[in-house]
Amino acid sequence: MTACLYTRLDTVDDAVQCLASAGEDGHVIAGGVALGILMNERLVKPVHLLDISRIDALKRIEVTAEGVLSIGALATHQEVLTSAAVAATCPLLIEMSSEIACERIRNRGTIGGSICLGDPQGDPPVALLALDAVVRAAGPQGLRDIPIRTFFQDVYTTALQSDEILQEIRIPRIPDGGGMAYHKFSARRAMDYATTVSAAVQLACDPDDGRIINAGLGLGGVGVTPVWSKAIADGLLNATPCPEIFAWMRKMVHEELSPIGDHLYSADYKSHVAAVILRRATERAYNRAVAGSDRR
Amino acid sequence: MSVDISLRVNGAEHRLAVEPTETLVNVLRNRLGMTGTHKDCTMGICGACTILLNGQPVSSCLLLACQADGEAIRTIEGLERDGALSLLQEAFLRYGAVQCGFCTPGFLMIAVALLEKNPKPDRNEIIDALKGNLCRCTGYTKIVDAIEFVANN
Ligand SMILES: Cc1cc2nc3c(=O)[nH]c(=O)nc-3n(C[C@H](O)[C@H](O)[C@H](O)COP(=O)(O)OP(=O)(O)OC[C@H]3O[C@@H](n4cnc5c(N)ncnc54)[C@H](O)[C@@H]3O)c2cc1C
Ligand code: FES
Ligand code: FES
Repeated sequence: MTACLYTRLDTVDDAVQCLASAGEDGHVIAGGVALGILMNERLVKPVHLLDISRIDALKRIEVTAEGVLSIGALATHQEVLTSAAVAATCPLLIEMSSEIACERIRNRGTIGGSICLGDPQGDPPVALLALDAVVRAAGPQGLRDIPIRTFFQDVYTTALQSDEILQEIRIPRIPDGGGMAYHKFSARRAMDYATTVSAAVQLACDPDDGRIINAGLGLGGVGVTPVWSKAIADGLLNATPCPEIFAWMRKMVHEELSPIGDHLYSADYKSHVAAVILRRATERAYNRAVAGSDRR
Repeated sequence: MSVDISLRVNGAEHRLAVEPTETLVNVLRNRLGMTGTHKDCTMGICGACTILLNGQPVSSCLLLACQADGEAIRTIEGLERDGALSLLQEAFLRYGAVQCGFCTPGFLMIAVALLEKNPKPDRNEIIDALKGNLCRCTGYTKIVDAIEFVANN
């Protein structure tokens, strides 16, 4: 066993500095549930572990004066799930977090870790794509804001640079009268991670005629990264849910997405599932928008 | 490089030096001789290695021992009092919720966490709390029965 170094950091500044001096050898660890598997399977052999899990400043969840929901990278899935600030502003994240694994994983796994991993199956990326979130990174040059829709670049590859720490996730204020929904498909009720397909939809509609005037959507488990489809979202504009629009969405899903078949489901079947759950999430989001219910 | 840490396990403090990549389950079992916490998948899937970290259930196969430095850890060994099994453990025996016993420590720790947070869970809440733990023997019903018995008593 090669010896590994370990440094526990207390502040973001210390973490950025330590990461800069560790260079290629530095490996950030947050909750460690994703990295833990990779280390146990010996797929990753860290040379220098930088433990950021105790940086309290990165655990905050708050709504800023401008109405932006700011979630610290180290907020655990369980903290997001039970946060009053999230419930009040962005129930989509509650619906999404409740779908993540089980409590003992949610207690350690962080929203930041999920985004940095860039797993195409991850739930938080899908919801954040629909919400048009912005990811704030801290690096040697200071802070950098990255739109989540440009963040996931390739298989487990994100826009975060190797000398940067993910600091927080910022979700723009959601206008009143919107609706959102999260839908995850898995064969089993829990712990079915590798083969899931998921969809998140955020809509706003015209209060007078019910037309969709704003749409964001994210899809998971249907490609090498979490997917945001501008074409499908734009196609919903000025429409109201109807069989024709869903038929069009189904066609687009089959054309636009390239899911990877696995031991359970073929690529074609995943496209089929994606179209079905995207329709269900769209219907639910729309009904919530129209009802103007507090689930928004 | 080894790291000096202190683990507070079931109220007792243990000072030891660990390698940064050593998981808590390995340290508990191999260094502290506390083999009650079981280790199976080492991927967070089965729940056999569940312990309580500051009162919250976590998978000790995915938690580095140095990340648990100074924190309060509770394991299956901490459930009995003066050599007597806890009510929950007794219920597991009485209801036949234990067969091979491999999954049992994980189920007990999840049940402890559930009952501390919600002393009177209904059956659905119990089933939901157990969803991340696997048992290949009992078919789960008896485990749910045992926890329900404790919740009602
Ligand atoms: C059994 C099991 C089931 C799971 N089920 C689900 C599920 O249903 N849905 C789902 O979405 N996810 C699931 N996951 C994945 C897991 O929840 C996420 O990947 C998790 O949130 C990772 O967070 P972490 O803090 O543990 O990250 P870590 O393991 O600590 O880190 C993951 C990676 O991100 C990097 N990193 C972490 N935080 C930062 C940061 N702030 N700045 C820079 N780099 C950082 C690390 O260097 C590492 O490369 C599951 C995992 C397990 C083990
Ligand atoms: S051994 Fe840790 S969850 Fe299976
Ligand atoms: S009793 Fe054998 S696995 Fe549960």
